[in-house]
Amino acid sequence: MKYETVIGLEVHVELATKSKIFCSCSAHSFGAEPNSHVCPACCGMPGMLPVVNKRVVDYGMKAGMMLNCHINRTTTFDKKSYYYPDLPAAYQTTQWFAPVAVNGTVEIETSGGKKSVRIKQIHMEEDAGKLVHDIREDTTHVDFNRTSVPLIEIVSQPDLSGAEEVEAYLERLKTLLRYAKVAECEMAHGTMRCDVNLSVRPEGSNVLGVRTEMKNMNSIEAIKRAIEYEVSRHIDAIENGTEVLVQETRRWDDIKGKSYAMRTKETAGDYRYFPDPNVMPIVIDDEWFDSIKATLPELPEVKKARYTGEYGLSDYDADQLTKSIAVCECFEDAYSVCGNAKDAANWMISEVMSLLNVKKMTYDMLDLNGITLGELIVLVSGGKVGRANAKKILAAIFDDPSIVPEEYAKANGFIVSNDTGLIATVVKETVAADPKSVADFKGGKEKALMALFGKCMKQLKGNCDPQVLRKILIDHINGL
Amino acid sequence: MERETLRLLEMLNQLRLTEEQKEKVISFCNNREAALKALDAIDTENVERMVHVMPVLTVVREDIVSQPYTAEELQQGAPETDEGYWCVPKVME
Amino acid sequence: MKKIIVDDMLLTKDLPTTAGSKMLEGYMSLFEAEAISRLNGAGYTISGKAEVGEFAIDLICETNYKGAFVKKGKLASPVAEMLEGDAEAAVCMDVNGSVRRAAAQNSLVSIKPTYGTVSRFGTVPVACSGETVSVMAKSADNCEAVLSIIAGHDDKDGTSLSDEDCAKAKEVSPMRRIAVLGNMLKDTDLAVARKIEIFRENLAAKGIEVCEINSDVIAASSAAWNVLMCAELCNNVSRYDGVKYGYRAENFSGIDELYTNSRTEAFGELLKCAILFGSDTLSTENYMKVYDKSLRVRRVVSEAFNALFEQYDAVMMPACSSFDYSEDIEDTAVFEENYYTAPASITGLPAVVIDGVQLVGKAFSEGSLLAFAKEYEKEAK
Repeated sequence: MKYETVIGLEVHVELATKSKIFCSCSAHSFGAEPNSHVCPACCGMPGMLPVVNKRVVDYGMKAGMMLNCHINRTTTFDKKSYYYPDLPAAYQTTQWFAPVAVNGTVEIETSGGKKSVRIKQIHMEEDAGKLVHDIREDTTHVDFNRTSVPLIEIVSQPDLSGAEEVEAYLERLKTLLRYAKVAECEMAHGTMRCDVNLSVRPEGSNVLGVRTEMKNMNSIEAIKRAIEYEVSRHIDAIENGTEVLVQETRRWDDIKGKSYAMRTKETAGDYRYFPDPNVMPIVIDDEWFDSIKATLPELPEVKKARYTGEYGLSDYDADQLTKSIAVCECFEDAYSVCGNAKDAANWMISEVMSLLNVKKMTYDMLDLNGITLGELIVLVSGGKVGRANAKKILAAIFDDPSIVPEEYAKANGFIVSNDTGLIATVVKETVAADPKSVADFKGGKEKALMALFGKCMKQLKGNCDPQVLRKILIDHINGL
Repeated sequence: MERETLRLLEMLNQLRLTEEQKEKVISFCNNREAALKALDAIDTENVERMVHVMPVLTVVREDIVSQPYTAEELQQGAPETDEGYWCVPKVME
Repeated sequence: MKKIIVDDMLLTKDLPTTAGSKMLEGYMSLFEAEAISRLNGAGYTISGKAEVGEFAIDLICETNYKGAFVKKGKLASPVAEMLEGDAEAAVCMDVNGSVRRAAAQNSLVSIKPTYGTVSRFGTVPVACSGETVSVMAKSADNCEAVLSIIAGHDDKDGTSLSDEDCAKAKEVSPMRRIAVLGNMLKDTDLAVARKIEIFRENLAAKGIEVCEINSDVIAASSAAWNVLMCAELCNNVSRYDGVKYGYRAENFSGIDELYTNSRTEAFGELLKCAILFGSDTLSTENYMKVYDKSLRVRRVVSEAFNALFEQYDAVMMPACSSFDYSEDIEDTAVFEENYYTAPASITGLPAVVIDGVQLVGKAFSEGSLLAFAKEYEKEAK
């Protein structure tokens, strides 16, 4: 019998705010000393009251808009109670009754064509702390740095049919949220986490099978492995009766390549939600709504179409540039100054992006001022700075955004000289010192000219218009 | 209140009652439930729930970091700490 | 230096805050209540902290972990006792009416201001949707002086009202007509009934019209308030689990036993009753018919009061059924006593207690209530 898999995802994304959702502690806990970003509020002490970080609502709304959701103009917070050492107040403040965004869609590309995945809701909530189990054998160590870091949870409908679609969906979420600059979405950093709700049923059946929820996958690859394992476990159980499937939460062990049922108490899942009396309803008026709407980015595919159409770039170049919103913005700024899209694209792809690779930085980490890059491109295309020196200037402005390319070029002697007398002298000396190359060139070896050209350029420290040098060099040899 | 309900409530709220206390809780809850009958007489059909008694809306703060407390201060009254962490018995996941 | 007493529900930096619970024995807060900061700024010093019953939900103080405060065979109020000294006033948390009861029973004046006019920052949270920082003193003048210092907007409390709104609470308009809630006169003892009678006579002598009215809706406040209060309490005290601070059981194996043993050993019986009842009201089965219903009843009660305030300047009711609680009264009896205090608790309306009687006013009328109390005091002398 053939089976089909029905998957819905719960994706938690840490929002890229500076401070936590309800207190002013730093929200950047990754790699920090334990409990260094903590205050009485986020370690569960009595007396502090939650005050909502406006940027969390901005970002929650923006994420909702990116995912074509309806934005609830009145959105409220609720308390969800359970005991666990990573939850210091023994309740999580989340959105149960009126989440910020509902009823959206995400379009994905699959091998079978385009597909629309329905989004049930996006709600804002606080993250839990971290438990460390490997410091002492008998003890779990508790770190509240991550407690109350703002999250959105994106809940999809069960519209995904397998690992490939899940991957496409997660990649698309990443792109959209990164384009909107609301989140880093880095699974390796834990800023994007995903729980998989999965069931299997005979193809064509409209009755859902037993659903299991899987947690603890730390990469998209792990999610794919977990889905494949879980699907075959379900099919095995259905076909061969290897086990009785029960609705449960399972933990994925990526090293062993297996999922395990998590031990749960009888009262697990009983969260006793109720509205938080300390957090007033948040009303999103037209002004607020419109101000966020105005900041929505152009979608990557729209940008790509504009780059290939209006700008005349190749598909490859447009693909490269649209990988990251930071790269796009730098490119567009550079283009606005230099006026040559192809030039700007070449600089971005062959120089800037490779510099990021060398520095082991992600494209989203690009912090280069595109206007400055544009000025540099103008210096090169105008023949004022040679290409080799321009790369040195790029390296400098990459590290220090305050540098003005032309001033830097002048200060470092990178400005192309139009002193034809100097060029002629250098050419004369170089040619005189290398009679073999001259003879080779005259004998028909084109490469020999390049060798002479290179030596002259080196003597001139690169500050020479290549066309001018070439002409003087050829004229000189021909005149010998 | 049923005994079984009380057993689950104890578990949910991390409490363990003696037999005598159970009787007390049950009688307390039963009294409350009897009092709730007065609410049935109140028509709330078209009434919106009132979580907040004052009509204040949209209290938000700017996204600004301040970090005035250290782990050491926060852990002064902690039952058990180690290397800047709070400690609990091993939790199995 | 003017002296002030605060009750043990307000966090203090240099003195422990226990909220009357063994769970918080010796607990030192890193920060103090906003009300205390404001009083310090105005030149007051704390002359002492008054004991409260566990999380201030009981009658007066009988569930304090150190034992009830008893005087001459009766339950007595530690804060009222302390006010016999030279402190100007006491700042107390009115969670479940204990402040108003203590004022009524000790011939003191108390003012519970409109919810949101005094910051709750730095108070031990119990029933956040209705509890209010309140003031108790020997005179209405003293209440007013201290209230005017602690009232005002605070960014650190998300339910704090604007300064503009808080200013409204200082306006004074005269009392001309007062309604007496007939429902609440039936079950009081003779002393309380007599007090109400004298009070009515005094009002009449001042030319204030007094009308007896009945409101089953307002009388049903406590049933709904107990649901809201206990559910919020259950959630708020769940943070006390023996991990971060406070009491931890000596013996346990595993995290669940750590939680259960610590809470079981440190919490008192009344608190356990309230936690379990509160938790039950939030179950999937009960949420709509009990908790959500109570939230809707809260609006009905609020509207019933507002309708009365169209005709009356205040609604008068007792603050307790008796001025003397015998030493051996059951702790669970509190839930019958908050029959008298729940109407103002569930609605967040201001209430003044003077001469053993409670007057509930419309939102932002505490200025008027205190002005009335001052006048009443003057004439009584």
